[in-house]
Amino acid sequence: EGPQDSAPVTSLHSLAVTSEQIEHLHRRFKQLSQDQLTIRKENFDSIPDLEFNPIRGKIVHAFFDKRNLRQESDGLADEINFEDFLTIMSYFRPIEMNMDEEQLDRFRKEKLKFLFHMYDSDHDGKITLQEYRNVVEELLSGNPHLEKESARSIADGAMMEAASICVGQMGPDQVYEGITFEDFLKMWQGIDIETKMHVRFLNVDTIAHCY
Amino acid sequence: MEVVWAVGQVGALWVAVVLGLIVLPSALGISLGISEAYMWVLVKTLEWATIRLQKGAKKPQPPRTPTANGIIERDETPMEKEIALLHRADFEFSHIFYFCRKGFEAIVEDEVTQRFSSEELLSWNLLTRTNVNFHYISLRLTVVWVIGVIVRYCFLLPLRVTLAAIGITSMIVGTTVVGQLPNSSVKNYLSEVVHLTCSRILVRALSGTIHYHNKENRPQKGGICVANHTSPIDAIILTNDGCYAMVGQVHGGLMGIIQRATVKACPHVWFERSEIKDRHLVTKRLREHVADKSKLPILIFPEGTCINNTSVMMFKKGSFEIGGTIYPVAIKYDPQFGDAFWNSSKYNIVSYLLRIMTSWAIVCNVWYLPPMVRKEDEDAVQFANRVRSAIARQGGLTELPWDGGLKRAKVKDTFKEEQQKNYSKMLVRNGSVG
Repeated sequence: EGPQDSAPVTSLHSLAVTSEQIEHLHRRFKQLSQDQLTIRKENFDSIPDLEFNPIRGKIVHAFFDKRNLRQESDGLADEINFEDFLTIMSYFRPIEMNMDEEQLDRFRKEKLKFLFHMYDSDHDGKITLQEYRNVVEELLSGNPHLEKESARSIADGAMMEAASICVGQMGPDQVYEGITFEDFLKMWQGIDIETKMHVRFLNVDTIAHCY
Repeated sequence: MEVVWAVGQVGALWVAVVLGLIVLPSALGISLGISEAYMWVLVKTLEWATIRLQKGAKKPQPPRTPTANGIIERDETPMEKEIALLHRADFEFSHIFYFCRKGFEAIVEDEVTQRFSSEELLSWNLLTRTNVNFHYISLRLTVVWVIGVIVRYCFLLPLRVTLAAIGITSMIVGTTVVGQLPNSSVKNYLSEVVHLTCSRILVRALSGTIHYHNKENRPQKGGICVANHTSPIDAIILTNDGCYAMVGQVHGGLMGIIQRATVKACPHVWFERSEIKDRHLVTKRLREHVADKSKLPILIFPEGTCINNTSVMMFKKGSFEIGGTIYPVAIKYDPQFGDAFWNSSKYNIVSYLLRIMTSWAIVCNVWYLPPMVRKEDEDAVQFANRVRSAIARQGGLTELPWDGGLKRAKVKDTFKEEQQKNYSKMLVRNGSVG
């Protein structure tokens, strides 16, 4: 029994990780799932390093978000298997040397889409002011010095800037409904996110084996 | 009838060999060089096996990096620098990248759980338990492995079990006998002899090869010896070279018998279960022991639980509140020949001992560090951290601020709040609020 048996070939190719890295991830998966075949939200509670993360909830949520799992339906999954786990991990793979323009563009879009889903909690395809405030509040949570108003003003300022970039000058009656994914992409044009949103594996061969 | 007699002869021969070659030298404290020869053969065989493995692999092997530090490359850029790198005005976008990545890194591997699984080896040591993907490589290698299994299970294991039995029995009998004597310097001397001899027998029972460094810093009477904890045999490793007063909880069963016997000969400090909960009582008793300069140094493992010997976790401050001189000791096992780490949530004590006794050998280095005393402006926690750093540095272990109790429990809220405060302080400083 091995991870290679359970995952179909296509998803492995898109991950572009070596079989050793998959073994590592599989071992980690088994550790988190306590030797079960699927992971539930509660399993992420056993990671002490994660406790400190203010957006811990959103990160865990992202693992179960069906949009990230490339499933047709919407909403949240109750549990995910190893293949799903790898699918989510693939959003954080680093750039490879041999990528061409089209691949790079797709690569970048995927990462931004992942981020977009994190903000858009009601899955309606738009980041509203309330959702934005939500994220900022979480980021600043646990800080006794900042009151709720600061979080609000940050969110409001950000939304206004987003609106000005995406829609241009707004008339007094115009209401900016929310940031769509296209607007989101525009906001991040020219900014290098690929090197910020990845986790790079060390090239290790722990145990030599031959075939 | 003749068969019984023949078996009896073999049995007698066996016991004679064991006594002559192992027990007697232990009592006298000399070495016949058998262990050294064994280790030499072992090293040569394992080198050969590794070369075979490397030859067998089709692809050229990339240069190996030690896995003790994890499988993902951690970007150590402090958060402030990262946020400055993103020119966008929207600060929270930058923050979200940072935390997203940290979150993912934690999910792929976290520093804490890593420390509670055995250290991975860079090359195979012919024990299947360390080769997670055992692939058939060559007939010759498999044959050597099979021979290895036979040697370990059919020859080494019975030998070691015999020795362990002899060691434990002599410990119980010896200390009970010595315990009958009235308190005097003769009694103390005899008690030391008994403890040392039995300890040496037990170390040979594990095929232990121990290198002691800086023996001039050995713990003196009236002091406290602290060491990092990897397995229950740590105590035996240390008592092989000196006498200590052990500190611990009273157990039942065989352990309890040993405890009751040894305490008659030598003033070990055994606590009842109910007493352990009362920290003041514990501290008081230990203080009394330390104040008496004629008593043997106490041996304490401040981590509180077994860690996998790649790092040193938080030291509980209780041991450092007692006062007196602290003698730090660093113990580092070489995992090449046998993994000494006890993963108590995975294996119980019996299966752990079985694993140890069917490994090739237990090889470790022990460094005695110069004694340390608490400075006037230091509190117990700072002192504990200072000692911990010294031990970690000497043993080549990494230091982690985590509590060993995390093996079973969750992160303390106070610690979480501390982290959150640090992050918030940074935000306010950046002036990006409002």
